[in-house]
Amino acid sequence: MTNKDTWFNRYVNSLPTRGWFKLLSRYVVVPYWIWRDPKPKLPGGPRESPQPSENTQRMMNLIMPLKDPSPMGRAMAAMAIAQNVDEIFSGLDNVGTVHTARFLILGDNLCMISVYDGDFSNYIRDFIETIGSVFDAVISQIKGAEHMIPTCDHVEEFIEWVHDHDLFQAPDFPTDLFALQDAAKGLPTDGPAHEIMTLPRDLILQLHANPNLSLGGGYRSYPGYSAAQVRDKFGVGW
Amino acid sequence: MNKQVKKDVDIDAIERDVQGNILRSYSRHLVRHLMLEVTNVAAARRFLGVAANGGSEAVPAITPGSDWGKAKPPSNFNIGLTFEGLKALGVSRRTLQTFPVEFSQGMTKRAMKIGDFGDSAPDKWPAPFDTPEKVHIVASIHADEEGQLDKVEAQVAKAFTVLGVRDGRGLGRGKVFFGYKDSISQPRFKWVKDRTQATADEPLDPLGTILLGYPTSMEDMSFRVPYPDALGLNGSFNAFRILAQASYDYEIYLDEAADFLLKHKDVDLLLPPGAEKKVGKGLDRHAALREIVAAQMCGRWRNGTPYETSPDTMDPDPDVSPTNFDYSAQSRCPAGAHMRRANPRGGHIVQRIATYTRRLVRRGMSYGPDFDPDDFDRKNPDRRERGLLGNFLCANLGAQFEAVMCDWLNVGLQTPSITGTNDPLLGANTAETSRFDLTLPDNAGTISIYGFPRFVTARGGAYTFLPSLTAIRYLSEL
Ligand code: HEM
Repeated sequence: MTNKDTWFNRYVNSLPTRGWFKLLSRYVVVPYWIWRDPKPKLPGGPRESPQPSENTQRMMNLIMPLKDPSPMGRAMAAMAIAQNVDEIFSGLDNVGTVHTARFLILGDNLCMISVYDGDFSNYIRDFIETIGSVFDAVISQIKGAEHMIPTCDHVEEFIEWVHDHDLFQAPDFPTDLFALQDAAKGLPTDGPAHEIMTLPRDLILQLHANPNLSLGGGYRSYPGYSAAQVRDKFGVGW
Repeated sequence: MNKQVKKDVDIDAIERDVQGNILRSYSRHLVRHLMLEVTNVAAARRFLGVAANGGSEAVPAITPGSDWGKAKPPSNFNIGLTFEGLKALGVSRRTLQTFPVEFSQGMTKRAMKIGDFGDSAPDKWPAPFDTPEKVHIVASIHADEEGQLDKVEAQVAKAFTVLGVRDGRGLGRGKVFFGYKDSISQPRFKWVKDRTQATADEPLDPLGTILLGYPTSMEDMSFRVPYPDALGLNGSFNAFRILAQASYDYEIYLDEAADFLLKHKDVDLLLPPGAEKKVGKGLDRHAALREIVAAQMCGRWRNGTPYETSPDTMDPDPDVSPTNFDYSAQSRCPAGAHMRRANPRGGHIVQRIATYTRRLVRRGMSYGPDFDPDDFDRKNPDRRERGLLGNFLCANLGAQFEAVMCDWLNVGLQTPSITGTNDPLLGANTAETSRFDLTLPDNAGTISIYGFPRFVTARGGAYTFLPSLTAIRYLSEL
């Protein structure tokens, strides 16, 4: 295909907006590719990186399906948080590595969105150690999580569960997706380069495996100082 | 879930069941680590069965943890299994799933987290560590004579395929490369008698810090004991690390740091004129500054004297305790020093809740040719590979070994003033970004030094499970 502005090229470019083509894609083309080239679900949370400065601040987007998504069930989830506000505050203080944390009820999910410093497993483990009872109250409202109560007796399992429900963070540079997909399939990282052309297809297939995702690892308006560095600078104790 | 938190503890029974070298060190001159592949499952099981039941003419006995007093055997024999090793011996899928994820993934998959990138990346490791899936068992022989090592190795080789061998030795006077006296501080466990730590005043660590199935240092938290108890209980985990140490480059950096400090405007605060005599016998100003840098980077003078309680001299009179000291906001031991990063003791840290929870038992010996920091040829760099065959033991690799590696030794999250810097001795440093802050007396601030490379590179290793003797019998009967 040339880049000339011929009627044929114009027609091909307009395909994604044409109804018959959308139907064909949804029911035939995409399922065919999912069958031919399935993509494993990519793991949630931030990826390890060698630079400590990039490593300091990280995002968690924990999406937990509500056991009962009716207004009544949602109210129960809201109550579980409200009843533990004091513990949550003191917990944040004691864990020492959390910048902000908030809970959302979104769709049929309870979400916990937070910014923390350092390693994910250490963060969750320290949290369980500090206010495990809050996690217990929260996950009692969540589908498929009850068997991990009390969390302090299921530390390893709970950390893995959170990791699994933490949103995949799509790379800031779209082409980095190829390497992640290869790694998830256990393919060598130094294999032949991918055609840039296939990126949209690979992205669609990935969105099939990870329907929800975080676009990038979050943006910030200042370098990723740790919570304790900020507290130290402002003299509020760390 | 098999929550196995025991209230009454029969420590003698436990010690007889636990492998030696976990609760107490052997203090031998030599070690040989054999990396083994299970190629004949029947032969391997038979070997393990005999080894766990006292051994025979042809099979060495697994050394248990009990204190054998004067009846010291001529050698000690112990094993650690990787996840692949458990699989190879036929452990069921269901049981395998009860092991923690960092162990089932193995050390090479955790590389980024524990700082194994660049020259330390697993794809740069020599054989047999270039095929981690084949490394099933790391067997360790401790002895005082080479002949004993050869004898046991020959016996082992009859039942397993020996993929590789690493020999280590004590360098004498308790020293390791870089010239420090090592193995002074260790955790001290409740109920366990350990002469070397008899006078240490750190809080006692609960048994669950090192063995599976007991209360941990995290109040109500328990770690999962792999199922069944016969396999999991009284087991421990080990991060076996082959860590090459750039001894020559380390000494050259100390030269450069001393040159830099001599010209620094605050040098007289760090070392008042004339005080070099006090730092150590026969030292001139340059040599004293070198030793101050070395001492602050580690947290001990190279002769083992703690910097915290003796910041002006390596030979305090009266002597100070090698183990009893703590850190505070006024500490002379820098927050970035290796020891203080690895064990912040009771000092204030960001992750308050983690105080005294990330404890590690360290068992290691050196490998490679001698290097004398007091007498080496500056003109002809001796960069032959040498370093530490290190074992970092704990009940939970994620909560202890990895947590220390990724947040404390590297990154330095525990104290805001060091966050973003790595351990000066063994962190994943690059000369372009490294920084270390030397403390000055009387809270007069710090002097930063820069430009040091990574002195310690990983050259191999494996996460292993150290099964109890009961568990080794269980494995032999699968
Ligand atoms: C080649 C690498 C290493 C060298 C040369 C080294 C050297 C030393 C030295 C000289 C000491 C002081 C002696 C003592 O108190 O016993 C020490 C202490 C210590 N090191 Fe290392 N080390 C190395 C690697 C590591 C690693 C990888 C870790 C942890 C993952 C670690 C953890 C510790 C701990 C926990 C202490 C005791 C601190 C205390 O309890 O106060 N070391 N090390």
